[in-house]
Amino acid sequence: MDNQQKKHGALLKFVPRPDRPPITITYGPVGWLKKNLFGNLWNSLLTITVFFLLFLLLKPFLEWTLFKAVWSASTRRECLSISPDGACWAGIFPWVNNLLYGLYPDALQWRVNLAFAIGLLWFVPLALKKVQQKILFALMGVMLFPFLANYLFLGGDRSSVHYIVACSALAYLLTLYINIILTYLNGKRLEQHLETFMERFSKKRAALLGHSTIWFFLTVVIAYVFKDQALEHVGVDAWGGLFLTLIISGVSIVMALPIGIILALGRRSEMPIIKWFSISTIEVVRSVPMITVLFMSVTMLPLFFPNTMELNKLVQVLVAVCLFAGAYMAETVRGGLQAISRGQYDAAKSLGLGYWRTMIFIILPQALRIMIPNIVTSFISLFKDTTLVSIIGLFDIMLMARNISIDKNWLGLHTEPLVAISVLFFVFCYSMSEYSQRLEKKLNTNR
Amino acid sequence: MKKTPKSLLIAAVAGCAMLFSQVQAQAAESTFETVQKRGYLNCIIGNSFVGFYTVDDKGTWSGMDIDICRSVAAAVFGDKEKVKFNSVQWAQSFTSIKSGAGDLLSKGMTWTLSRDSSQGLDFLDTYFYDGQGFMVRTDSGIKSALDLKGATVCVLTGTSSELNLTDFNRSNNLKMKTVVFDDASVRTAAFFNKNCDAMTNDRSGLAAARSTALNPADYAVLPETISKEALSFAVRQNDSTWANVVKWTFAALVEAEELGITSQNIDEIRKTTIDPVVKRFLGLEGDLHKGLGLPQDWAYQVIKQVGNYGEVYERNLGPDTALALDREGTLNALWKNGGLLYSKSFR
Repeated sequence: MDNQQKKHGALLKFVPRPDRPPITITYGPVGWLKKNLFGNLWNSLLTITVFFLLFLLLKPFLEWTLFKAVWSASTRRECLSISPDGACWAGIFPWVNNLLYGLYPDALQWRVNLAFAIGLLWFVPLALKKVQQKILFALMGVMLFPFLANYLFLGGDRSSVHYIVACSALAYLLTLYINIILTYLNGKRLEQHLETFMERFSKKRAALLGHSTIWFFLTVVIAYVFKDQALEHVGVDAWGGLFLTLIISGVSIVMALPIGIILALGRRSEMPIIKWFSISTIEVVRSVPMITVLFMSVTMLPLFFPNTMELNKLVQVLVAVCLFAGAYMAETVRGGLQAISRGQYDAAKSLGLGYWRTMIFIILPQALRIMIPNIVTSFISLFKDTTLVSIIGLFDIMLMARNISIDKNWLGLHTEPLVAISVLFFVFCYSMSEYSQRLEKKLNTNR
Repeated sequence: MKKTPKSLLIAAVAGCAMLFSQVQAQAAESTFETVQKRGYLNCIIGNSFVGFYTVDDKGTWSGMDIDICRSVAAAVFGDKEKVKFNSVQWAQSFTSIKSGAGDLLSKGMTWTLSRDSSQGLDFLDTYFYDGQGFMVRTDSGIKSALDLKGATVCVLTGTSSELNLTDFNRSNNLKMKTVVFDDASVRTAAFFNKNCDAMTNDRSGLAAARSTALNPADYAVLPETISKEALSFAVRQNDSTWANVVKWTFAALVEAEELGITSQNIDEIRKTTIDPVVKRFLGLEGDLHKGLGLPQDWAYQVIKQVGNYGEVYERNLGPDTALALDREGTLNALWKNGGLLYSKSFR
């Protein structure tokens, strides 16, 4: 252009460029709609049809759940007289407390809340970046926390050993948090203050010694502070609702992995007794329905014990569920182990590592990483399977929900409670699967 | 190395022997002693059955079976609260009693020959006489169960109702089609949604289901009763000491109603009565309690805390409850009023 202008020397007549085509919005919601839903006539027709079908499907559901629902009434009869086609959510509200805590006394429910809060606190640091030795304190949590939780849930006269362990759990958590705060303030960790002193006893383990001393000291302090605090006893038969569901699934999820790993390693072992024991355990437990395992443990176990001995129904159930979950987990773990190539084993051997070191440092970390989706899937199904305990009369959230339909005031109200708890289950299961996906991403970045 | 399996075998044999001897020891001790040592009663009930055992949002159990259990606790301990309710499924009820997990079974179970003879139970007495009936929609025009030719009937699977229905079907050649359900509320909902023409269950259950309908007047229970359902309580087989305690506790409920003693007027009657029958009954005279091994005032405690049979019936099944079952003219009235409830002599 420039050259042309110079050549001719004269101004050329202004010729407007051809008009641009009208703007098609390709951004924002409108653009997205145009591009994906109404691109051409055929797509538009499809969109409209599908939306119409969706509307037809959702309309009665939404009407039932929201628009025609009754939110406050004192009996189901009243609900029906207000709006016969709507859901009667009013029946859920008086039972919410029972759905969450079972028959746990109202005045003592803070203990349940407190225990769950402590449990959460224990696992929050796992998500923090600067925290080190995550595996160690997760393990300590798994070992110590149940004692503390049990102490709070059950109350009553527990043995002094139990009390001390519960206090030590609290003390451990306290040291953990002080250390976390100190790390974030770039200060010295607690045990580092004591390190110079401790080095007199053992150079190598000074930090560990320091930490243990502080831990021990705090345990004593806590035990002394709370020594006059008596907790009222709440029997296991009063536990129920979501609280019980979480206990059963929590314990079984935590236990399933170690049991599974041991059984899986046993199955691949070359020692015949261990191998056949593992195989028979896995196959027997896996070949019968969970409900049978539950029935067995609840009806058969008491036959083996003297009449006067009260077997705790919850413990029986926990044993059964853990065994069941462990057997399934074993096969998942075995799948993961088999995915590890022969070369890894050989490499470990050539480095001179023994069986346990090979497994713990080389094979399992890789195998577990591969298995995350499978493990979480079995956790989710386990969480849902625990509703089966309602069949043997433990008042978990499922049985509580079904119980609403035979309450005098809410007779026949059985759909609404089931809808309500399915929402609850969805929240729990979905967050578990979300967590697993985040974990997968995080661990894969290391590769 | 060869030695290991052998010692294992010995250990296993020893273990089995130990278990066996324990089972033996268990059989020797009466449930009555076990209960007294334990300090509370273990009562086997089901998950839920309107009017018979239900738990409210406070965790309090109530119902006919619950009151039976409470009255036994009141007789043994003088405190109706000293009882623990274990709700179990049908399939598990028999083993719970056999294994000693429960001392008393009272879960609206029908007394049948096969259960009595081959399940390790002793049925003791009937506290409610029921029978199987049919419920239909009033606009269907059906007036009798014999009109149900070719109808579809909703029924709970695995219950005696299902078997009775089959018998009734065969003997009257009705060609009914059955639709089976596992869950009572689902069955009821299916019936209300017109998935079947009729629904069958014990009449008390039908009454409860009818009361949950949008408009109960749209449904009617047909007059025919096609089976005998004597709801009874049971204890472990061959344990007469314990069976006596339970049996006579129930008899006390009925006897009190016959004598006109209620939980309201019992204190006054106890002070003022001159009737030797009443005096004997309340433990003011004689030593009726000794044979049972109960405290002297056991019958007083039972009636004071739980009430007589009539009160128990009114509280759980009577006109003011969800079931709203009339008592007069049915088998559940006292024998004086033409029913079947008859207490043996307290003498």
